[in-house]
Amino acid sequence: MNAVVEVKGLTKRYGDVMAANEVSFDIEKGEIFGLLGPNGAGKTTTVELIEGLRKPDSGFIKVCGIDTSDGIDKVKELIGVQLQTTTLYDKIRIGEAIDLFGGYYRKSLPTAQILGGVSLSDKKDSFVEALSGGQRQRLALALALVNDPEILFLDEPTTGLDPQARRNVWDIVERLRERGKTIILTTHYMEEAERLCDRIGIMDQGKIIALDAPRDLIAKQNLESAIELITSNGVSKEFFHKLPNVSNVTQDGDRFILHTKETSPVLTQLTHLSESGDLDLKSISVRKATLEDVFLELTGKKLRE
Amino acid sequence: MNTLVGQIKLEFKLFLREKEALFWTLAFPVFMIVLFGLLWKDETWDGIPTIAYLLPGIIVMAVMTTCIVSTATGVVEEREKGIFRRLSLTPLKRKTLIGWQIVNRYLTVLAQTTILIAIGMAFFGAAIDGNLLLFWAVLTLGTISFLALGFALAALIKNEKSAHPLSMIVFFTLMFLGGCFFPIDQMPEFLCPVCEALPSLHLNDALRMIAVEEVGIIEVWREIPVLLGWLAGCSILAVKFFRWE
Repeated sequence: MNAVVEVKGLTKRYGDVMAANEVSFDIEKGEIFGLLGPNGAGKTTTVELIEGLRKPDSGFIKVCGIDTSDGIDKVKELIGVQLQTTTLYDKIRIGEAIDLFGGYYRKSLPTAQILGGVSLSDKKDSFVEALSGGQRQRLALALALVNDPEILFLDEPTTGLDPQARRNVWDIVERLRERGKTIILTTHYMEEAERLCDRIGIMDQGKIIALDAPRDLIAKQNLESAIELITSNGVSKEFFHKLPNVSNVTQDGDRFILHTKETSPVLTQLTHLSESGDLDLKSISVRKATLEDVFLELTGKKLRE
Repeated sequence: MNTLVGQIKLEFKLFLREKEALFWTLAFPVFMIVLFGLLWKDETWDGIPTIAYLLPGIIVMAVMTTCIVSTATGVVEEREKGIFRRLSLTPLKRKTLIGWQIVNRYLTVLAQTTILIAIGMAFFGAAIDGNLLLFWAVLTLGTISFLALGFALAALIKNEKSAHPLSMIVFFTLMFLGGCFFPIDQMPEFLCPVCEALPSLHLNDALRMIAVEEVGIIEVWREIPVLLGWLAGCSILAVKFFRWE
């Protein structure tokens, strides 16, 4: 084990809300670790506790072997953080902002190298106020990288970005992975988690309810595939539950998702039911199960509600 | 040390790019001294050259724009935009951050004062006849008191929107009731106790006594307690209510 982040029994309460409830995990060097969950699940609180922005009510955190409760100043030299929203002075130039932040650290990378790494070299002399959303997000990433950190925190790095800008950020994260950086990212996009993360902790109501590699998370829930169908004759959830080989059913009005390990027998049955007139199928599609299905299975909720 | 110089240079550049701040801290005071200079160049008031009387008032006004208006609006903006929050993730210490802000504003005040005195002396026959060192010492005390007031306002003001109007109200009150441009004995009598309690009045009186009447520290001393009182009171408010996010 070569854990660079150790979190044990982390708890943080805001009034009646347990924003983090006995959260524990280890992150190994070079790993991309994702916290996935809906808004309000406690992802941001958890990373902010590790970053030292907030103090936990109980539990302990070690970053690179340093206890953050008494060594946060040392930890700050070793980590880089991209907040969900980073705002700077409007009238600062990109190059100046990188220089400024670099000056706060004992060691920092050259500004040109940082800007090249996030594809902002041609924006060096632009004012922050003139940047697009995607460029701002890349600047935030650049500021997190000025000290060549051991551990990088990305809090919802692509929320609100268009698909092209999102892919740009993913490319940068993948290049950082190749350079062996340890990255902790929070997201509520399952594609993002599946594509980038080596391991994912699924969070709901302040708790980590599952933690594994994306593939294993899906395999462990016995969710090989998901059959999505729309009916028009008002059948109930139980109707599908009674079918053999169906492990779980979720309903959203006339829309049902059947989770199964054995796709073809279920399809055959559905075809029979449709031919006999017991089921009026308006549409049907089969897809591989995703983390979204895992989340639904574990919590009965959708990720993006 | 390089960081410190770099930070001050950058803050100065940022300051020059903020057109509105630049107007109030520099263009407006320069405009005032030129205007008053042209209007009353050779006039006297109670035997004192009018411009010699007005110069300290214009300096105090300029100091207040820097220390009160731009501190309050700047700090509230940095807090509300989350700039303080972002900085707190870096090894930069909060004390250092506030220290830089104070140093920066103090340097701005010195620049403003130098420019205003230079213009007044070069074109309009104004002068600081008294002890320059004493003038500088009293001005520094005034600057620190106004800075404390600026930080106290920043601590008490809730959001970015109200920062500018509220600090402008404080600024104008201190400017007009504090005798920057005309003696307060021309004020309605009921306002006098209010004026007497203002730090701007005592700073104006002290600077005028030094610049025009060439008095020493003993005569100036009675103006000091009110300035110290404001410094203490505002410092307590600022420390007690200051929020980083």
